[in-house]
Amino acid sequence: MSSRHANERPTRARAVVKPFQIRGRFLTALALRLEGGPPDVAFYEALDEQLQQTPQFFSAAPVVLDFARAPGIATPEKIRDLAHELRERNLLVFGVQNAGPIDQSALQSMGLIPLGPGRDEPGPDDAARRKRGVEKLLPPDNKIVTAPVRSGQIVVAERGDLTVVGSVASGAEVVASGNIHIYGTLRGRAVAGVHGNVNARIFCRKLDAELVAIAGLYKTSDTLDPAARDRCAQIFLEKEKLCMEAIA
Amino acid sequence: MTTQMKAEPPLGRVIVITSGKGGVGKTTSAAAISAGLAKLGHKTVVIDFDVGLRNLDMTMGCERRVVFDFINVIQGDARLKQALIRDKRLETLSILPTSQTRDKDALTKEGVEAVLDELKREFDYIICDSPAGIERGAHLAMYFADEAVVVTNPEVSSVRDSDRVLGLLSSQTQRAETEGAEPVKAQVLLTRHDRARVDRGEMMTVEDVLEILAVPLLGIIPESQAVLRASNVGTPVVLDEPSAASRAYEDAVARLTGQEVEMRVTGERRPGLFHRLFGRSA
Repeated sequence: MSSRHANERPTRARAVVKPFQIRGRFLTALALRLEGGPPDVAFYEALDEQLQQTPQFFSAAPVVLDFARAPGIATPEKIRDLAHELRERNLLVFGVQNAGPIDQSALQSMGLIPLGPGRDEPGPDDAARRKRGVEKLLPPDNKIVTAPVRSGQIVVAERGDLTVVGSVASGAEVVASGNIHIYGTLRGRAVAGVHGNVNARIFCRKLDAELVAIAGLYKTSDTLDPAARDRCAQIFLEKEKLCMEAIA
Repeated sequence: MTTQMKAEPPLGRVIVITSGKGGVGKTTSAAAISAGLAKLGHKTVVIDFDVGLRNLDMTMGCERRVVFDFINVIQGDARLKQALIRDKRLETLSILPTSQTRDKDALTKEGVEAVLDELKREFDYIICDSPAGIERGAHLAMYFADEAVVVTNPEVSSVRDSDRVLGLLSSQTQRAETEGAEPVKAQVLLTRHDRARVDRGEMMTVEDVLEILAVPLLGIIPESQAVLRASNVGTPVVLDEPSAASRAYEDAVARLTGQEVEMRVTGERRPGLFHRLFGRSA
Protein backbone atom coordinates (compact mmCIF):
# COMPACT_ATOMS: atom_id res chain seq x y z
CA MET A 1 0.00 0.00 0.00
CA SER A 2 2.75 2.41 1.02
CA SER A 3 4.67 1.68 -2.13
CA ARG A 4 1.61 2.53 -4.16
CA HIS A 5 1.43 5.88 -2.43
CA ALA A 6 5.05 6.51 -3.15
CA ASN A 7 4.38 5.77 -6.79
CA GLU A 8 1.40 8.05 -7.00
CA ARG A 9 2.82 11.08 -5.28
CA PRO A 10 5.22 12.35 -7.95
CA THR A 11 2.54 11.93 -10.58
CA ARG A 12 0.22 14.17 -8.60
CA ALA A 13 2.96 16.70 -7.92
CA ARG A 14 3.69 16.93 -11.61
CA ALA A 15 0.08 17.78 -12.35
CA VAL A 16 0.32 21.07 -10.43
CA VAL A 17 0.47 24.04 -12.78
CA LYS A 18 3.66 26.07 -12.40
CA PRO A 19 3.48 29.88 -12.47
CA PHE A 20 6.05 29.91 -15.27
CA GLN A 21 7.66 27.73 -17.88
CA ILE A 22 11.24 27.62 -19.02
CA ARG A 23 11.43 27.48 -22.79
CA GLY A 24 14.37 27.56 -25.15
CA ARG A 25 14.46 30.52 -27.50
CA PHE A 26 16.67 31.18 -30.48
CA LEU A 27 16.93 34.55 -31.98
CA THR A 28 18.55 35.96 -35.02
CA ALA A 29 20.61 39.08 -34.58
CA LEU A 30 22.69 41.29 -36.81
CA ALA A 31 26.36 41.46 -35.99
CA LEU A 32 28.10 44.74 -36.61
CA ARG A 33 31.69 43.75 -37.19
CA LEU A 34 34.05 46.62 -36.61
CA GLU A 35 37.22 46.86 -38.62
CA GLY A 36 40.41 48.76 -37.94
CA GLY A 37 40.69 51.70 -35.54
CA PRO A 38 38.18 53.46 -33.29
CA PRO A 39 34.96 54.67 -35.00
CA ASP A 40 35.43 58.16 -36.41
CA VAL A 41 33.28 60.57 -38.41
CA ALA A 42 33.86 58.63 -41.61
CA PHE A 43 32.63 55.47 -39.87
CA TYR A 44 29.36 57.08 -38.77
CA GLU A 45 28.85 58.65 -42.22
CA ALA A 46 29.23 55.28 -43.87
CA LEU A 47 26.88 53.76 -41.31
CA ASP A 48 24.24 56.43 -41.89
CA GLU A 49 24.46 55.86 -45.61
CA GLN A 50 23.96 52.13 -45.12
CA LEU A 51 20.97 52.75 -42.83
CA GLN A 52 19.39 55.01 -45.39
CA GLN A 53 19.84 52.55 -48.22
CA THR A 54 18.33 49.57 -46.37
CA PRO A 55 16.18 50.92 -43.55
CA GLN A 56 13.98 47.79 -43.34
CA PHE A 57 16.96 45.61 -42.86
CA PHE A 58 17.84 47.26 -39.56
CA SER A 59 14.39 48.08 -38.22
CA ALA A 60 13.62 46.18 -35.04
CA ALA A 61 16.62 43.94 -35.50
CA PRO A 62 18.72 43.18 -32.44
CA VAL A 63 22.36 44.08 -32.99
CA VAL A 64 25.53 42.58 -31.57
CA LEU A 65 28.85 44.40 -31.67
CA ASP A 66 31.61 42.15 -32.96
CA PHE A 67 35.18 43.13 -32.03
CA ALA A 68 36.88 40.17 -33.69
CA ARG A 69 38.74 42.40 -36.18
CA ALA A 70 39.14 45.41 -33.92
CA PRO A 71 40.42 44.19 -30.56
CA GLY A 72 42.05 47.57 -29.87
CA ILE A 73 38.79 49.42 -29.41
CA ALA A 74 37.13 46.92 -27.08
CA THR A 75 37.45 49.13 -23.99
CA PRO A 76 34.47 50.08 -21.82
CA GLU A 77 34.70 53.78 -22.77
CA LYS A 78 34.80 53.18 -26.52
CA ILE A 79 32.04 50.60 -26.34
CA ARG A 80 29.92 53.05 -24.33
CA ASP A 81 30.38 55.76 -26.99
CA LEU A 82 29.68 53.33 -29.81
CA ALA A 83 26.55 51.90 -28.18
CA HIS A 84 25.29 55.40 -27.52
CA GLU A 85 25.82 56.50 -31.12
CA LEU A 86 24.12 53.39 -32.47
CA ARG A 87 21.16 53.67 -30.14
CA GLU A 88 20.80 57.27 -31.29
CA ARG A 89 20.27 55.74 -34.73
CA ASN A 90 17.52 53.46 -33.39
CA LEU A 91 19.67 50.35 -33.58
CA LEU A 92 18.80 47.83 -30.86
CA VAL A 93 22.29 47.10 -29.54
CA PHE A 94 22.13 44.42 -26.87
CA GLY A 95 25.39 42.51 -26.81
CA VAL A 96 29.07 42.31 -27.61
CA GLN A 97 31.10 39.41 -28.88
CA ASN A 98 34.81 38.76 -29.31
CA ALA A 99 35.54 41.66 -27.00
CA GLY A 100 38.26 39.77 -25.15
CA PRO A 101 38.65 40.14 -21.37
CA ILE A 102 36.40 43.03 -20.40
CA ASP A 103 34.78 44.19 -17.18
CA GLN A 104 31.39 42.49 -16.94
CA SER A 105 29.86 45.09 -14.62
CA ALA A 106 30.86 47.91 -17.00
CA LEU A 107 29.08 46.10 -19.82
CA GLN A 108 26.05 45.53 -17.62
CA SER A 109 25.84 49.21 -16.77
CA MET A 110 25.64 49.89 -20.52
CA GLY A 111 22.84 47.38 -20.88
CA LEU A 112 25.02 45.02 -22.90
CA ILE A 113 25.63 41.32 -22.45
CA PRO A 114 28.73 39.39 -23.56
CA LEU A 115 27.85 36.65 -26.06
CA GLY A 116 29.44 33.34 -26.87
CA PRO A 117 32.29 31.53 -25.15
CA GLY A 118 35.78 32.95 -24.95
CA ARG A 119 36.99 33.10 -28.51
CA ASP A 120 40.70 33.47 -27.73
CA GLU A 121 41.08 29.94 -29.05
CA PRO A 122 38.75 28.18 -31.46
CA GLY A 123 36.33 25.93 -29.59
CA PRO A 124 36.33 22.20 -30.15
CA ASP A 125 33.07 22.34 -32.14
CA ASP A 126 34.30 25.21 -34.25
CA ALA A 127 35.41 22.99 -37.11
CA ALA A 128 32.05 21.23 -37.18
CA ARG A 129 30.20 24.53 -37.19
CA ARG A 130 32.36 25.85 -39.99
CA LYS A 131 31.76 22.66 -41.97
CA ARG A 132 28.01 22.96 -41.48
CA GLY A 133 28.20 26.54 -42.66
CA VAL A 134 30.15 25.44 -45.71
CA GLU A 135 27.63 22.70 -46.41
CA LYS A 136 24.86 25.23 -46.66
CA LEU A 137 26.85 27.13 -49.21
CA LEU A 138 27.72 24.05 -51.26
CA PRO A 139 25.98 23.53 -54.57
CA PRO A 140 23.07 21.07 -54.55
CA ASP A 141 24.09 17.45 -54.35
CA ASN A 142 21.54 15.53 -56.42
CA LYS A 143 21.29 11.83 -55.88
CA ILE A 144 20.54 9.06 -58.36
CA VAL A 145 19.55 5.56 -57.29
CA THR A 146 19.56 2.96 -60.05
CA ALA A 147 18.14 0.04 -58.06
CA PRO A 148 14.64 -0.43 -56.68
CA VAL A 149 14.19 1.09 -53.23
CA ARG A 150 12.99 -1.84 -51.15
CA SER A 151 10.71 -2.12 -48.17
CA GLY A 152 12.42 -0.86 -45.04
CA GLN A 153 15.01 1.20 -46.91
CA ILE A 154 15.30 4.96 -46.61
CA VAL A 155 17.06 7.02 -49.26
CA VAL A 156 17.77 10.66 -48.46
CA ALA A 157 19.03 13.43 -50.73
CA GLU A 158 20.00 16.00 -48.11
CA ARG A 159 20.74 18.79 -50.58
CA GLY A 160 18.92 18.58 -53.88
CA ASP A 161 16.90 16.26 -56.03
CA LEU A 162 16.50 12.52 -55.78
CA THR A 163 16.03 10.36 -58.86
CA VAL A 164 15.10 6.69 -58.55
CA VAL A 165 15.42 4.52 -61.64
CA GLY A 166 13.12 1.77 -60.42
CA SER A 167 10.22 1.43 -58.05
CA VAL A 168 9.84 2.52 -54.44
CA ALA A 169 8.33 -0.39 -52.55
CA SER A 170 5.60 -0.30 -49.98
CA GLY A 171 7.32 0.31 -46.65
CA ALA A 172 10.22 2.20 -48.24
CA GLU A 173 10.87 5.92 -47.91
CA VAL A 174 12.49 8.43 -50.24
CA VAL A 175 13.32 11.88 -48.92
CA ALA A 176 14.78 14.92 -50.65
CA SER A 177 15.23 18.60 -49.96
CA GLY A 178 14.41 19.20 -53.62
CA ASN A 179 12.31 17.29 -56.14
CA ILE A 180 11.80 13.54 -56.28
CA HIS A 181 11.66 11.71 -59.60
CA ILE A 182 10.66 8.06 -59.64
CA TYR A 183 10.96 6.12 -62.90
CA GLY A 184 8.82 3.30 -61.60
CA THR A 185 5.89 2.81 -59.28
CA LEU A 186 5.76 4.80 -56.06
CA ARG A 187 4.23 2.42 -53.52
CA GLY A 188 6.03 3.69 -50.41
CA ARG A 189 6.51 7.17 -48.99
CA ALA A 190 7.94 10.15 -50.81
CA VAL A 191 8.81 13.32 -48.92
CA ALA A 192 10.05 16.26 -51.02
CA GLY A 193 11.12 19.71 -49.92
CA VAL A 194 11.98 18.50 -46.41
CA HIS A 195 13.75 21.74 -45.52
CA GLY A 196 10.63 23.68 -46.39
CA ASN A 197 11.04 24.15 -50.14
CA VAL A 198 7.44 24.74 -51.22
CA ASN A 199 8.41 24.62 -54.90
CA ALA A 200 9.60 21.01 -54.66
CA ARG A 201 7.63 18.44 -56.62
CA ILE A 202 7.25 14.68 -56.75
CA PHE A 203 7.07 12.91 -60.10
CA CYS A 204 6.42 9.22 -60.59
CA ARG A 205 5.64 6.83 -63.42
CA LYS A 206 2.81 5.30 -61.40
CA LEU A 207 1.29 6.71 -58.25
CA ASP A 208 0.28 4.15 -55.62
CA ALA A 209 1.89 5.82 -52.62
CA GLU A 210 1.38 5.21 -48.92
CA LEU A 211 2.22 8.82 -48.29
CA VAL A 212 3.36 11.84 -50.28
CA ALA A 213 4.51 15.07 -48.66
CA ILE A 214 5.92 18.39 -49.79
CA ALA A 215 7.32 20.90 -47.29
CA GLY A 216 5.43 19.24 -44.47
CA LEU A 217 2.02 19.00 -46.14
CA TYR A 218 1.06 15.42 -46.77
CA LYS A 219 -1.57 13.06 -48.08
CA THR A 220 -1.89 9.37 -47.39
CA SER A 221 -3.06 6.59 -49.68
CA ASP A 222 -6.65 7.13 -48.49
CA THR A 223 -6.66 10.73 -49.62
CA LEU A 224 -4.82 10.37 -52.93
CA ASP A 225 -6.58 12.06 -55.80
CA PRO A 226 -8.41 9.27 -57.71
CA ALA A 227 -7.66 11.04 -60.98
CA ALA A 228 -3.93 10.61 -60.41
CA ARG A 229 -3.92 7.23 -58.71
CA ASP A 230 -2.22 4.48 -60.70
CA ARG A 231 -1.26 7.07 -63.29
CA CYS A 232 1.92 8.83 -64.25
CA ALA A 233 1.59 11.80 -61.95
CA GLN A 234 3.12 14.88 -60.42
CA ILE A 235 2.49 16.24 -56.95
CA PHE A 236 3.04 19.86 -56.07
CA LEU A 237 1.97 22.65 -53.72
CA GLU A 238 -0.43 25.33 -54.87
CA LYS A 239 -1.76 27.94 -52.48
CA GLU A 240 -0.59 25.85 -49.54
CA LYS A 241 -2.57 22.88 -50.80
CA LEU A 242 -1.11 19.59 -51.93
CA CYS A 243 -2.23 18.95 -55.50
CA MET A 244 -1.72 15.94 -57.72
CA GLU A 245 -2.40 15.50 -61.39
CA ALA A 246 -1.88 12.88 -64.06
CA ILE A 247 0.70 14.02 -66.58
CA ALA A 248 0.66 11.25 -69.19
CA MET B 1 18.04 -43.61 -56.39
CA THR B 2 20.80 -43.22 -58.93
CA THR B 3 23.33 -40.46 -58.61
CA GLN B 4 26.19 -39.53 -60.89
CA MET B 5 29.37 -38.79 -58.97
CA LYS B 6 31.58 -35.98 -60.11
CA ALA B 7 35.37 -35.74 -59.91
CA GLU B 8 35.95 -31.96 -60.15
CA PRO B 9 36.90 -29.87 -57.11
CA PRO B 10 33.90 -28.79 -55.07
CA LEU B 11 32.07 -25.67 -56.23
CA GLY B 12 31.58 -24.36 -52.68
CA ARG B 13 28.60 -22.21 -53.53
CA VAL B 14 26.62 -20.88 -50.55
CA ILE B 15 22.89 -20.43 -51.20
CA VAL B 16 20.56 -19.03 -48.57
CA ILE B 17 16.89 -19.92 -48.58
CA THR B 18 15.17 -16.97 -46.98
CA SER B 19 11.87 -15.05 -46.96
CA GLY B 20 11.39 -12.75 -44.00
CA LYS B 21 7.88 -14.02 -43.38
CA GLY B 22 7.33 -17.34 -41.65
CA GLY B 23 5.31 -20.26 -42.94
CA VAL B 24 5.86 -19.56 -46.61
CA GLY B 25 7.80 -22.78 -47.22
CA LYS B 26 11.46 -22.00 -46.55
CA THR B 27 12.32 -25.28 -44.88
CA THR B 28 10.28 -27.32 -47.35
CA SER B 29 12.05 -25.53 -50.20
CA ALA B 30 15.48 -25.89 -48.57
CA ALA B 31 14.86 -29.63 -48.23
CA ALA B 32 13.54 -29.98 -51.79
CA ILE B 33 16.28 -27.88 -53.37
CA SER B 34 19.12 -29.58 -51.52
CA ALA B 35 17.72 -33.02 -52.33
CA GLY B 36 17.21 -31.94 -55.95
CA LEU B 37 20.81 -30.75 -56.24
CA ALA B 38 22.08 -33.94 -54.63
CA LYS B 39 19.98 -36.00 -57.03
CA LEU B 40 21.77 -34.30 -59.93
CA GLY B 41 25.03 -35.54 -58.44
CA HIS B 42 26.19 -32.36 -56.73
CA LYS B 43 27.66 -32.82 -53.28
CA THR B 44 25.20 -30.85 -51.20
CA VAL B 45 24.83 -29.97 -47.52
CA VAL B 46 21.86 -28.23 -45.99
CA ILE B 47 22.29 -26.26 -42.75
CA ASP B 48 19.49 -25.37 -40.34
CA PHE B 49 19.93 -21.81 -39.06
CA ASP B 50 16.66 -21.82 -37.15
CA VAL B 51 18.32 -22.34 -33.77
CA GLY B 52 15.82 -23.26 -31.09
CA LEU B 53 13.07 -24.51 -33.38
CA ARG B 54 14.84 -27.21 -35.42
CA ASN B 55 12.49 -28.25 -38.20
CA LEU B 56 14.80 -29.13 -41.05
CA ASP B 57 15.86 -32.52 -39.65
CA MET B 58 12.19 -33.55 -39.41
CA THR B 59 11.47 -32.47 -42.96
CA MET B 60 14.53 -34.42 -44.04
CA GLY B 61 13.46 -37.40 -41.91
CA CYS B 62 16.64 -37.64 -39.84
CA GLU B 63 15.50 -36.23 -36.50
CA ARG B 64 16.32 -39.46 -34.65
CA ARG B 65 19.89 -39.46 -35.91
CA VAL B 66 20.88 -36.06 -34.47
CA VAL B 67 23.70 -36.40 -31.95
CA PHE B 68 25.79 -33.27 -32.37
CA ASP B 69 24.57 -30.08 -34.01
CA PHE B 70 25.64 -26.83 -35.70
CA ILE B 71 25.94 -25.01 -32.36
CA ASN B 72 28.16 -27.77 -30.92
CA VAL B 73 30.46 -27.29 -33.90
CA ILE B 74 30.52 -23.50 -33.61
CA GLN B 75 31.33 -23.71 -29.91
CA GLY B 76 34.02 -26.31 -30.49
CA ASP B 77 32.26 -29.11 -28.62
CA ALA B 78 32.18 -31.36 -31.68
CA ARG B 79 33.93 -31.69 -34.99
CA LEU B 80 32.02 -30.90 -38.17
CA LYS B 81 32.30 -34.52 -39.35
CA GLN B 82 30.57 -35.70 -36.18
CA ALA B 83 27.65 -33.33 -36.63
CA LEU B 84 27.03 -33.89 -40.35
CA ILE B 85 24.32 -36.47 -41.04
CA ARG B 86 24.62 -38.36 -44.30
CA ASP B 87 21.22 -38.81 -45.96
CA LYS B 88 20.15 -42.44 -46.26
CA ARG B 89 18.52 -42.00 -49.67
CA LEU B 90 21.18 -39.90 -51.42
CA GLU B 91 24.87 -40.34 -50.66
CA THR B 92 25.65 -36.87 -52.04
CA LEU B 93 23.36 -35.19 -49.50
CA SER B 94 24.28 -34.20 -45.94
CA ILE B 95 22.37 -32.38 -43.23
CA LEU B 96 23.80 -30.15 -40.52
CA PRO B 97 21.01 -29.93 -37.94
CA THR B 98 20.70 -27.21 -35.36
CA SER B 99 20.18 -27.19 -31.63
CA GLN B 100 16.73 -27.17 -30.11
CA THR B 101 17.88 -26.14 -26.66
CA ARG B 102 19.85 -23.02 -27.54
CA ASP B 103 18.77 -19.74 -29.10
CA LYS B 104 20.05 -17.67 -31.97
CA ASP B 105 22.54 -15.79 -29.80
CA ALA B 106 24.63 -18.96 -29.84
CA LEU B 107 25.46 -18.22 -33.49
CA THR B 108 28.54 -16.10 -34.05
CA LYS B 109 29.72 -14.58 -37.30
CA GLU B 110 33.20 -16.07 -36.91
CA GLY B 111 31.79 -19.48 -36.03
CA VAL B 112 29.44 -19.52 -39.01
CA GLU B 113 32.22 -18.40 -41.34
CA ALA B 114 34.58 -21.12 -40.07
CA VAL B 115 31.95 -23.84 -40.57
CA LEU B 116 31.05 -22.57 -44.06
CA ASP B 117 34.73 -22.41 -45.05
CA GLU B 118 35.21 -26.01 -43.98
CA LEU B 119 32.09 -27.12 -45.85
CA LYS B 120 33.20 -25.26 -49.00
CA ARG B 121 36.22 -27.55 -49.23
CA GLU B 122 34.00 -30.58 -49.52
CA PHE B 123 30.63 -29.60 -50.97
CA ASP B 124 29.41 -28.12 -54.24
CA TYR B 125 26.35 -26.49 -52.74
CA ILE B 126 25.85 -25.30 -49.19
CA ILE B 127 22.19 -24.56 -48.61
CA CYS B 128 21.44 -22.33 -45.62
CA ASP B 129 17.89 -22.68 -44.33
CA SER B 130 17.17 -19.29 -42.78
CA PRO B 131 14.76 -18.72 -39.91
CA ALA B 132 11.88 -16.31 -40.39
CA GLY B 133 12.38 -12.68 -39.48
CA ILE B 134 15.34 -10.41 -40.08
CA GLU B 135 17.13 -10.82 -36.76
CA ARG B 136 20.40 -12.48 -35.89
CA GLY B 137 19.63 -15.98 -37.20
CA ALA B 138 18.35 -14.73 -40.54
CA HIS B 139 21.14 -12.18 -40.81
CA LEU B 140 23.88 -14.77 -40.26
CA ALA B 141 22.18 -17.24 -42.62
CA MET B 142 22.38 -14.71 -45.46
CA TYR B 143 25.60 -12.94 -44.51
CA PHE B 144 28.05 -15.25 -46.31
CA ALA B 145 25.73 -16.21 -49.18
CA ASP B 146 26.74 -16.17 -52.83
CA GLU B 147 23.16 -16.64 -53.95
CA ALA B 148 19.76 -16.25 -52.40
CA VAL B 149 16.46 -17.96 -53.03
CA VAL B 150 13.74 -15.71 -51.68
CA VAL B 151 10.68 -17.84 -50.98
CA THR B 152 7.49 -15.87 -51.51
CA ASN B 153 3.77 -16.63 -51.42
CA PRO B 154 1.61 -14.71 -53.87
CA GLU B 155 0.06 -12.48 -51.23
CA VAL B 156 0.88 -8.92 -50.18
CA SER B 157 2.47 -9.37 -46.75
CA SER B 158 4.77 -12.12 -47.97
CA VAL B 159 5.79 -10.04 -50.99
CA ARG B 160 6.50 -7.02 -48.82
CA ASP B 161 8.65 -9.07 -46.43
CA SER B 162 10.51 -10.57 -49.38
CA ASP B 163 11.14 -7.08 -50.66
CA ARG B 164 12.59 -6.15 -47.27
CA VAL B 165 14.82 -9.21 -47.35
CA LEU B 166 16.01 -8.36 -50.87
CA GLY B 167 16.99 -4.95 -49.51
CA LEU B 168 18.99 -6.60 -46.73
CA LEU B 169 20.67 -8.96 -49.20
CA SER B 170 21.91 -5.97 -51.16
CA SER B 171 23.16 -4.10 -48.09
CA GLN B 172 23.85 -6.37 -45.10
CA THR B 173 25.85 -9.24 -46.56
CA GLN B 174 29.56 -9.86 -46.89
CA ARG B 175 29.33 -9.37 -50.64
CA ALA B 176 27.53 -6.07 -50.17
CA GLU B 177 30.14 -4.89 -47.68
CA THR B 178 33.12 -5.96 -49.82
CA GLU B 179 34.22 -3.33 -52.28
CA GLY B 180 34.03 -4.58 -55.87
CA ALA B 181 32.42 -7.92 -55.01
CA GLU B 182 29.57 -9.14 -57.16
CA PRO B 183 26.27 -8.66 -55.34
CA VAL B 184 24.39 -11.67 -53.95
CA LYS B 185 22.49 -13.24 -56.84
CA ALA B 186 18.90 -13.21 -55.65
CA GLN B 187 16.01 -15.07 -57.24
CA VAL B 188 12.43 -15.45 -56.15
CA LEU B 189 10.78 -18.83 -55.68
CA LEU B 190 7.02 -18.49 -55.70
CA THR B 191 5.45 -21.16 -53.51
CA ARG B 192 1.89 -22.18 -52.69
CA HIS B 193 0.77 -20.81 -56.04
CA ASP B 194 -2.86 -21.69 -56.64
CA ARG B 195 -3.86 -21.01 -60.20
CA ALA B 196 -7.58 -21.25 -59.49
CA ARG B 197 -7.33 -18.66 -56.72
CA VAL B 198 -5.23 -16.38 -58.92
CA ASP B 199 -7.89 -16.65 -61.61
CA ARG B 200 -10.55 -15.74 -59.08
CA GLY B 201 -8.49 -12.70 -58.09
CA GLU B 202 -7.83 -13.99 -54.57
CA MET B 203 -4.08 -14.23 -55.08
CA MET B 204 -1.52 -11.98 -56.68
CA THR B 205 -0.45 -12.97 -60.16
CA VAL B 206 3.13 -13.98 -60.94
CA GLU B 207 3.50 -10.78 -62.94
CA ASP B 208 2.36 -8.64 -59.99
CA VAL B 209 4.87 -10.28 -57.68
CA LEU B 210 7.76 -9.94 -60.11
CA GLU B 211 6.84 -6.35 -60.86
CA ILE B 212 7.19 -5.48 -57.18
CA LEU B 213 10.25 -7.57 -56.38
CA ALA B 214 12.13 -6.87 -59.63
CA VAL B 215 14.37 -9.95 -59.43
CA PRO B 216 14.47 -13.05 -61.67
CA LEU B 217 12.00 -15.86 -61.06
CA LEU B 218 13.54 -19.19 -60.07
CA GLY B 219 10.33 -21.19 -60.16
CA ILE B 220 6.65 -21.45 -59.38
CA ILE B 221 5.69 -24.20 -56.94
CA PRO B 222 1.98 -25.02 -57.04
CA GLU B 223 -0.02 -25.41 -53.85
CA SER B 224 -0.10 -29.15 -53.47
CA GLN B 225 -1.11 -31.89 -51.06
CA ALA B 226 2.09 -33.65 -52.08
CA VAL B 227 4.16 -31.00 -50.28
CA LEU B 228 2.32 -31.48 -46.99
CA ARG B 229 2.41 -35.26 -47.26
CA ALA B 230 6.13 -35.31 -48.04
CA SER B 231 6.83 -32.98 -45.14
CA ASN B 232 4.90 -35.15 -42.72
CA VAL B 233 6.65 -38.36 -43.67
CA GLY B 234 10.05 -36.68 -43.54
CA THR B 235 10.85 -36.94 -47.25
CA PRO B 236 11.93 -33.98 -49.37
CA VAL B 237 9.18 -33.56 -51.95
CA VAL B 238 11.51 -34.26 -54.89
CA LEU B 239 12.30 -37.70 -53.43
CA ASP B 240 8.63 -38.55 -52.93
CA GLU B 241 6.40 -39.88 -55.68
CA PRO B 242 6.15 -37.56 -58.71
CA SER B 243 3.77 -34.64 -58.37
CA ALA B 244 3.33 -31.20 -59.91
CA ALA B 245 5.19 -29.73 -56.94
CA SER B 246 8.14 -32.11 -57.23
CA ARG B 247 8.44 -31.39 -60.96
CA ALA B 248 8.34 -27.65 -60.25
CA TYR B 249 11.10 -28.02 -57.66
CA GLU B 250 13.19 -30.09 -60.07
CA ASP B 251 12.83 -27.35 -62.68
CA ALA B 252 13.85 -24.74 -60.13
CA VAL B 253 16.89 -26.78 -59.12
CA ALA B 254 17.92 -27.13 -62.76
CA ARG B 255 17.69 -23.36 -63.17
CA LEU B 256 19.74 -22.91 -60.02
CA THR B 257 22.55 -24.89 -61.62
CA GLY B 258 22.45 -22.64 -64.65
CA GLN B 259 20.24 -24.66 -67.01
CA GLU B 260 17.55 -22.95 -69.00
CA VAL B 261 14.20 -24.56 -68.31
CA GLU B 262 10.93 -23.22 -69.59
CA MET B 263 8.65 -21.84 -66.85
CA ARG B 264 5.58 -24.00 -66.35
CA VAL B 265 2.58 -23.03 -64.31
CA THR B 266 0.89 -26.20 -63.20
CA GLY B 267 -1.75 -27.05 -60.67
CA GLU B 268 -3.00 -30.16 -58.93
CA ARG B 269 -6.50 -29.23 -59.93
CA ARG B 270 -7.63 -30.17 -63.40
CA PRO B 271 -8.58 -27.05 -65.29
CA GLY B 272 -12.33 -26.44 -65.36
CA LEU B 273 -14.47 -26.62 -68.45
CA PHE B 274 -14.26 -22.88 -68.95
CA HIS B 275 -10.47 -22.94 -68.95
CA ARG B 276 -10.32 -25.93 -71.25
CA LEU B 277 -12.71 -24.33 -73.72
CA PHE B 278 -10.81 -21.08 -73.87
CA GLY B 279 -7.37 -22.58 -73.37
CA ARG B 280 -6.27 -19.94 -70.93
CA SER B 281 -2.71 -20.04 -69.77
CA ALA B 282 -0.97 -17.94 -67.16
